[in-house]
Amino acid sequence: MKVLTHTSARTPDLAAWLAAGGGEGLQHALTETAAIIPALADAGLRGMGGAGFPAATKWQAVADADADEKWILCNGNEDEPGTFKDHFLLTQTPHQVIEGALIAALATGATGIVVYANPHAGGTISGLEDAVEQWRRHPLFDRVRAHLDQPFELTVQLSSGLYVGGEETGAIAAVNGGFPFPREKPPWPAQDGIHGQPTLVNNVETLALATHVLRHGADWFRQLGNTAPGTKLFSLSGDILRPGLHELPMGTSLRALIEDHGGGMLAGTPFKAVFTGGPSNTLLTASDLDVALDFDSLRARGSRLGTGAMIVVGAGTSIVRKTAEYVTFFADSSCGQCPPCKIGTHQVARILQRIDQGWGQPDDLEALDNLVELLLGSGRCGLVDGAATVLASSLRAFRTEYEQAIGNANRLP
Amino acid sequence: MTAMGVDHATALRSWSARAPAPPATGDLPPAELVRHFHPDHQADHQSELRVGACAGMRCPSGLADLLQANAHIDDVDLAGIRNLHADVLVLGGGAAGVVAALTAARDGAAVMLATKLRLGDGNTVMAEGGIQAAVGADDSLQQHFDDTLAGGHATADPELVAALVSDGPAAIRWLMAEGMAFDQQNDQGDGASTLRRLRPGGTTVARLLSYRDFTGLEMMRALREAVLLQPGVEVRERYAALELLTDPHGRCVGAVLLDLERERLVQVRAGAVILATGGAGRTHLGGNATSNHYGATADGLVLAYRVGACLREIDSFQYHPTGLAWPRHLRGLLITEAVRALGARLVNGDGARFIDELAPRDVVAAAILREIDAGRGVERDGLTGVLLDTPTLERERPGVLQNHLITLVRLARKAGIDPASEPLLIAPTLHYQNGGVAVDTNGQSSIPGLLCAGEIAGGIHGRNRLMGNALLETVVYGRRAGKAAVTTMRNPSGRAVGITHLGDWQRGLIHAGLPLDRRAPVLFPAYGHADIERRIHARRKSAL
Repeated sequence: MKVLTHTSARTPDLAAWLAAGGGEGLQHALTETAAIIPALADAGLRGMGGAGFPAATKWQAVADADADEKWILCNGNEDEPGTFKDHFLLTQTPHQVIEGALIAALATGATGIVVYANPHAGGTISGLEDAVEQWRRHPLFDRVRAHLDQPFELTVQLSSGLYVGGEETGAIAAVNGGFPFPREKPPWPAQDGIHGQPTLVNNVETLALATHVLRHGADWFRQLGNTAPGTKLFSLSGDILRPGLHELPMGTSLRALIEDHGGGMLAGTPFKAVFTGGPSNTLLTASDLDVALDFDSLRARGSRLGTGAMIVVGAGTSIVRKTAEYVTFFADSSCGQCPPCKIGTHQVARILQRIDQGWGQPDDLEALDNLVELLLGSGRCGLVDGAATVLASSLRAFRTEYEQAIGNANRLP
Repeated sequence: MTAMGVDHATALRSWSARAPAPPATGDLPPAELVRHFHPDHQADHQSELRVGACAGMRCPSGLADLLQANAHIDDVDLAGIRNLHADVLVLGGGAAGVVAALTAARDGAAVMLATKLRLGDGNTVMAEGGIQAAVGADDSLQQHFDDTLAGGHATADPELVAALVSDGPAAIRWLMAEGMAFDQQNDQGDGASTLRRLRPGGTTVARLLSYRDFTGLEMMRALREAVLLQPGVEVRERYAALELLTDPHGRCVGAVLLDLERERLVQVRAGAVILATGGAGRTHLGGNATSNHYGATADGLVLAYRVGACLREIDSFQYHPTGLAWPRHLRGLLITEAVRALGARLVNGDGARFIDELAPRDVVAAAILREIDAGRGVERDGLTGVLLDTPTLERERPGVLQNHLITLVRLARKAGIDPASEPLLIAPTLHYQNGGVAVDTNGQSSIPGLLCAGEIAGGIHGRNRLMGNALLETVVYGRRAGKAAVTTMRNPSGRAVGITHLGDWQRGLIHAGLPLDRRAPVLFPAYGHADIERRIHARRKSAL
């Protein structure tokens, strides 16, 4: 069942979206505002930015906050390798995202919505500005404003495009006009966000799904999924025949994702592993093929669903090279506030590149093991944890590949 | 050439009875000759490309198989291999590669020149006729331009031709400065000698500069010395290119090489890559004999196409009219065109001339094939061709064989023939890839960071090349590409340099229903039994 990727959602034109049944969720929200958050709770909607935190809880916290000014931060900064769902939602289906943000504003009594988008995602911005402008001029928007009975604004803000700018406190810092430095939590964004005021930070996929929950109801939403409610956007890439964005029931098995929807492994090469959503999580390997892809099932396996990015690696692709590539990404993306992250990720990247490029030393593996222990949990945000987790899991599952690369190394000057 | 012809002994009698044969009448217009008899127009040997930047384009089936092949290596083969760095990586050790390397190094770049054979071991040294350049008082750039465009049936890119001919005189001066010798003549009576000029086939003026009948060898001699003495050029012999490296933006940032001696892979990251890998003759397209050197296996074309480069006129090949047709073990080897420029005639099994010997190559080749098709060829030991009348030439210009056609005499001797008394049996031989990678006047392909020089580049000759323009192309475009590489090179320190373009490539092959187990580049002809696969994976296996 296609919800977010249904053709009716894929329009730049607000009138077309409303004609195809869009806006119904917002109408329901306007008539029964108090039922919004309970509906999300009943639907079991979770945060799709990677953490999977229950949306209703987050919304309730902002709704309960006592402040004159409250904000909705619609987070579309995605920048990590292998994830391209937010780009699709913002460029192809902006109206379901904006409608979701308006519903969130009604539920929480917000005074403003900031659609925070990555400028590096080509074409995002002009289309998005245009979509927002269509909403601003629409009578529905006036009804929302009237319903809230307070000054209310809806704006688009470009992010820096930096990876740390997607972390919720980094995003808030950027909207506040600074460099997107993440900070320690608590205080949570629901207490201290944009302009120091209570702020709801939600991924664009979460907000888009909220639109559909409000339109069709919680029961309908729950039935969409297999092992957990709803559908999920999977960004499928790597050594797969048909890479791309797949919207599938939550809890679809990894095997079904690869074989039924991805067309199977590219060139018939054996399956080796999957880097999931980040790629900052524990690798999924052949023994995980039948695991249901939902937040809790993957967490039970010691991994995470993350953003739903699935970078599939076949026998022809080197784990060492891929890990080096991703850790280098994290090292380049570190904001530099926390010394272990600033220095540690670069140290790991340097060693991985050295191994990959044929200059590995026999004691490099031990050094990497030690760095994993040192780095986990050493930063304010999760960046360094992502780097350490993907490293640790590749070392654990594919140690022989590392040993071979070091064994093959050229020791002559 | 399976068609039956006139028995060799009978043909010799007809020849000696009619020599010197009168000029041919030319009953078919050249365009008709080519359309009916040239191998490029034999549709049953052609197929359409189904994947890549030029899907839909036609080319010989044998070439299509190579262009649409899978890579030899996977990403995993790159883990732990040695990394080397260069500002400019030149692939190919013929004249174009060496000229490009010299130029780039003199402009300050750190250059690596890799060749799968040895430096100079290529088609350049087999070029016998000469090099065209409009240096004569009765000549002009415009005439050279017009001749080249007309010779290519107006299918060449005029801008590329203009660049080629405009740089011609400077290229000759440059070669002289590198120490290359040219034949001189002393015909003014004032003791001053000038460059000796011959009239190549398909031209309006004497424009061909040469050194005896081994012009290419002399050129390579000078270039080889120059490059070995040039600081800033690292020459790696016996390093074969298997795949180009790309970055996530699709820029070419180096290549994966196979060290054939040590049987191991290395990757060279480079700011720019110049392909100078030559042509495709040794793939024996259509089962044809070839005049080409052992290494001419279309490697560069395959690599460039796989990273998305646009090609052009790859269905057009030049068949040199005068390849040796007999004996079998020397079949395909080249008899220089200079022999016709000097006045030698072609006669069929009836002892008659059938074509203006100085017509463009495709016309002469088509005319020979027509004679053979019609049963007017000459047959010897099951091999068919026509006769090249060297004895009459020697009688008309005594000493010409010994003084100007040294290589021909040597080749004839290998065949057990005295060319002064007996005509050679010749037939068209697969000689030159007219098309290739589409480039601009700097040799820049459609892929950033990837340049081409020499035979691999397309558009300079159109659908037919004039004699003497190939050597000129190597120098002119070698210099242009070398210079452009230095000005456009980028530091290749991206986070994801690799061969990730192969994912999309393999998806394309699967969707087009093409096999994944056909691998290219082939590096050597099949009869070389080079066993590339084993050499590539030798270390992978030993590590497991």
